[in-house]
Amino acid sequence: MNENAGPEARRGADGYLLRAEGITKIYSDGTVALKKATLEIHSHEIIGLLGENGAGKTTLTKILSGLLPPTHGRVVSPRGPVRFANPREALDFGIGMVHQHFALVGTFTTTENVALSHEKPFSLIRLAKTRERLEALMEESGLRVPLDVPVEKLAVGEQQRVEILKVLSRDVRLLILDEPTSVLTPLEVDELFALLRKLKEKGTSVILITHKLKEVQSITDRIVVLRRGEMVGDVRTAEATTERLAQLMVGKTLEGEPTAFELSAEQLPRALSASRKKEFSGEGILHVVDLVARGNTGEVTVNGVTFDVHGGEIFGIAGVEGNGQSELVECLTGLRVPVSGSATIRGTNILGKDPRQIYRLGVAHVPEDRWRLGLVLPFTLAENAILGVHRWEEFQGPFGILRRGKVYQHVRQLMDRFDIQATGPNAPAKSLSGGNQQKLIVGRELAKDPAIVVASQPTRGLDIGAAKYIRDLLIEMRDNGRAILLVSADLDEVLALADQLAIMYEGRFMTSCRPDTLNREQIGMLMGGVACKEVA
Amino acid sequence: MNWMDIVSLLRIALHAMVPITLTAVGEIVGETAGLFNIGLEGILLIGAFAGALGAEVGGPWVGFLVGLGVGAAIGLLFSVMATYWKGTQMVIGIGINLFAMGFVAFGLIQLGAPGFHAVAPAAQLTKWRTPMGAMSPVILLALVAPFVIHWFIKRTRAGLMLKAAGETPEAADVAGINVNRTRLLASTFGGALAGIAGAYMSVAWIGSVTKEISAGRGFIALATVVFSGLNPLLALLGGFIFGFFQGLAEWVKTLPSKPIPFQFVSMLPYIVTLLVVSGAIGRVRFPKALGEPYKRE
Amino acid sequence: MTENPARESRLLRGVHRTVTGLHPALESVVAAIVGLLIGAVLMYIWGFDPWKAYWALLRGAYGGSYEWASSLARGTPLILTALTFSICVRAGMFNIGAEGQMMIGAMAAVCVALFKAPVGLHLVIGLVFAAVAGALWSVVPAILKVSRGVSEVISTIMFNWIGRWLALYLAIYVIVDPMRAEKTLTVPVTARFPILVRGTDLSASIFLAVGVALVMYFLLWHTTLGYEVRAAGLNPTAARYGGIRSKRTMIVSFLLGGVTAGLAGATIAMGLPPSYAIFGGGGLPELTNLGFDGMAVAMVGRNHPIGILVAGVFFGGLNAGGRVMQFYGSNPVPLEMIRVVMGAIVLAMAIPELIRLFPAIKRQGDKLFAALRRGRDPRSKEGSA
Repeated sequence: MNENAGPEARRGADGYLLRAEGITKIYSDGTVALKKATLEIHSHEIIGLLGENGAGKTTLTKILSGLLPPTHGRVVSPRGPVRFANPREALDFGIGMVHQHFALVGTFTTTENVALSHEKPFSLIRLAKTRERLEALMEESGLRVPLDVPVEKLAVGEQQRVEILKVLSRDVRLLILDEPTSVLTPLEVDELFALLRKLKEKGTSVILITHKLKEVQSITDRIVVLRRGEMVGDVRTAEATTERLAQLMVGKTLEGEPTAFELSAEQLPRALSASRKKEFSGEGILHVVDLVARGNTGEVTVNGVTFDVHGGEIFGIAGVEGNGQSELVECLTGLRVPVSGSATIRGTNILGKDPRQIYRLGVAHVPEDRWRLGLVLPFTLAENAILGVHRWEEFQGPFGILRRGKVYQHVRQLMDRFDIQATGPNAPAKSLSGGNQQKLIVGRELAKDPAIVVASQPTRGLDIGAAKYIRDLLIEMRDNGRAILLVSADLDEVLALADQLAIMYEGRFMTSCRPDTLNREQIGMLMGGVACKEVA
Repeated sequence: MNWMDIVSLLRIALHAMVPITLTAVGEIVGETAGLFNIGLEGILLIGAFAGALGAEVGGPWVGFLVGLGVGAAIGLLFSVMATYWKGTQMVIGIGINLFAMGFVAFGLIQLGAPGFHAVAPAAQLTKWRTPMGAMSPVILLALVAPFVIHWFIKRTRAGLMLKAAGETPEAADVAGINVNRTRLLASTFGGALAGIAGAYMSVAWIGSVTKEISAGRGFIALATVVFSGLNPLLALLGGFIFGFFQGLAEWVKTLPSKPIPFQFVSMLPYIVTLLVVSGAIGRVRFPKALGEPYKRE
Repeated sequence: MTENPARESRLLRGVHRTVTGLHPALESVVAAIVGLLIGAVLMYIWGFDPWKAYWALLRGAYGGSYEWASSLARGTPLILTALTFSICVRAGMFNIGAEGQMMIGAMAAVCVALFKAPVGLHLVIGLVFAAVAGALWSVVPAILKVSRGVSEVISTIMFNWIGRWLALYLAIYVIVDPMRAEKTLTVPVTARFPILVRGTDLSASIFLAVGVALVMYFLLWHTTLGYEVRAAGLNPTAARYGGIRSKRTMIVSFLLGGVTAGLAGATIAMGLPPSYAIFGGGGLPELTNLGFDGMAVAMVGRNHPIGILVAGVFFGGLNAGGRVMQFYGSNPVPLEMIRVVMGAIVLAMAIPELIRLFPAIKRQGDKLFAALRRGRDPRSKEGSA
């Protein structure tokens, strides 16, 4: 089982609050999110759940809080196994979770949101009573929120407090917080942590999901590290060093032996670091200065980013998802209007222009979300192959007539050149496998003969073969003198491909340097928000 | 315009208000939970027809009960198709309307006279004599129902559940609410109210059933819902405005001088609705998940 | 599939593709059968003989050239109003407004009676009037949606009523026949669609409907504009990513829908003998419900212009056959039954993948497919060996 199990885990069967035993979760699409995870939770403790995107942190906690059933394994309390059909049963048992995407009704006030999960179906709402209890709870916990304002009007940090109050009002014994600090200001983080310590003293246990090393070290008693669905570490916080945690998180065990998940030589693209250019002779293509942008909920997500991308260079942006990468890409491709700053392609401003105008300047965009952005799924392969270029003279004849012949010729070329497996040009895009869908998108974008390719999570969810193929294509483009902006949450991918590396954290670049000047630990720390000088 | 004209105008307006307000208030409950039923017109029609039949068998109150039952059944059918079977709500509603148009016209022929059936006087609900003239007691129901529904939505947890199911079904689900069942109940209730409104038209107001008896009141009720922004009290006001303009049109028609073609008067409520709705967008907000079936990921 | 793409398996895939390609049509057929069955049950409950009635309907609809002619005549305006609905569905919106747009179009077409023009040109002028009027009536809700966010469902319903009252006003006060107050001016002979089959209602307007449907098909599937409309309707965010301006596609689709609805009105005013006029006195009986019935046609036609042509013939046949059915036998079934059937068909169409409710059929199909495959695969191995 787990040799890294912390001291508490061995403390004996009666001392625990809840134990997850050998939990495996396989989603309906076949993704194995969790492999035989075992976790024991005691009272009076704060557990940090650390890991990269897709490590299985959220899945594990969703199982604990009744939102998902485990595929194998069970959850045990001292009184026997427990099984929750829905989150409400888990709440009744004393487990409450604050999700990363809040489960709040936006038009309801704080009081109403709390009342919703409390009262019997056919009772009157006793808002006054709920209010009283909330006020007492606010007094006690120090979490202050307006009670009579619709929660959608509140700031994100306040909404989170509403969620916490909602859970606390149920007298939970285990509070689970999924990435709670990602939406908070430093001051709010301090307040939250003070509250968590107070809860711990009162006997409530806390599971804190995070990827931020500093935070997890400052507050937790025990740190459990997940990597690609497996528990790779369970250590006492007092004994853990930042370096060791970073190693565990990004893929080297303490002994330095490589884990099974590191890219092996065959998986890596054929042009490896050997061919990586030392000097960039290519012209400057994309020039971004002090870009600031807001996210969908209005908070600043890109906070003053400056960089250049040259021809013949892969500029890789690594970092945990949700640190502003998506918004940055959207600004550069015309899908989002930034607040301030400038961005030019070969000297022409691109900010505020619509996607069509930006494509004309030689930008190709491989979007992060294939299904939402990249493809019109019910459309055929041929129709998808011209999305965005459909008005080019090649495909549009007089009177706006679509030149079907040219389109088929084009899609056949794409299918040949990019090895897209499909029954034919008229196959619906949704009938293709994920890898072939992505090849279609990448092929379409590369066929634009772009000056710069903006590739966002280009290999996410793909099998090894397809991922390798797409990485090869990006390198080929680079070698042909194109500029590539690669944004990926897959650290190995960015390290393998990038000539220049930036690590994004909370809307800023933590560093921008050659990838071989940093070791993995340092990168892990930068991704977790620990600045370079602190590393050194 | 003399005093008597104003009184009779008011009387017509109040009577015309009833079906629109009742239907709109029922639809408000449904839309609050996230269902948009464009088939109200059909429910009104069938309610009027079935209500008249029921009244002739067992008296006016049986008529109302039958209208209620038939309306509830159609509302239930609508919501089962829209929630569990994931049908497109717009298409289901259109189907209900077409079906009702044919069904009532067909049924009327079976009763003897094509297109028209007079409800036997004994089966009609007696109107009350008031200083304003003969008034149907159902007006009271239409005046009270919006307040009750308003209270229900605002003050009971069931109302909170309705709103949550329509606004953020995911959050409702996390709070342990069965979204589909909530919607089912809401739509059944809305159908029942529309059924009562239909029965009112034949049994307590017009005194006959024609195949055009609904005359677009179901759609007017939908517009009233938009106008009201899901507030039952405003639906009462909206229903009255529509009733008023309908009364006004009737009144203008009888004027010897014909100052304005009555068609333009009849148009006014729709134009007013459009203007109000266009101006109100931004202020008025509809449930985010309105019209969307809920699927747990 | 990673297996060796032998010719046999390619053939098999071709067969499979054809069957899955026919899937939507199959669903419409299943829905039509379900609707007819519901109608039969109702007829049985009310004491009619459904099979006799359907037999009469079938003969009345497609029993001979006269019957075919009147079926096509009934189907003509339905095809056009169905196109209105389906173009907007393709663009991702519900345009319930065909009814009003069609009435306004009919009134505009009647206006050709106000002046003289040569044969042919007179007809074309009338069509242009109707198309422009329909488009104008349609574009306002589109603009309200794009600029103010007003739901097109509500605004088009309101426009239906305003349009209906406006049409009534025009028919009764403005373009009224000075001799007969209950009807509008009569469309002069120079502006009428010629009758194709003597003694029937079938006029050359059927060519207009077919032509418009083909044009719409070409527009939607063979032009970049149609490509953009469909992309924006299926996936608005991907369309935006692809540089498509969705506000533009919305307005364009409503304009096109208004044009077809206006033309539907014109086919009645200028192509329906014997009156070639609209009866305002009776509340526009020849126009009422054409827009709503068109939505049923659009759904059964799967919102595809070619499917709509077929569905238009089917629904036209239902209407024409219903007229025969209502006089057939000792206990004839009233015409109104037809709309009951239409409603039931639409309800059946509303359930996505209705076919899925018939798992037995699907199982049989799968078995057949598997058997075919088993039969084919060894031979393909022999061939390659």
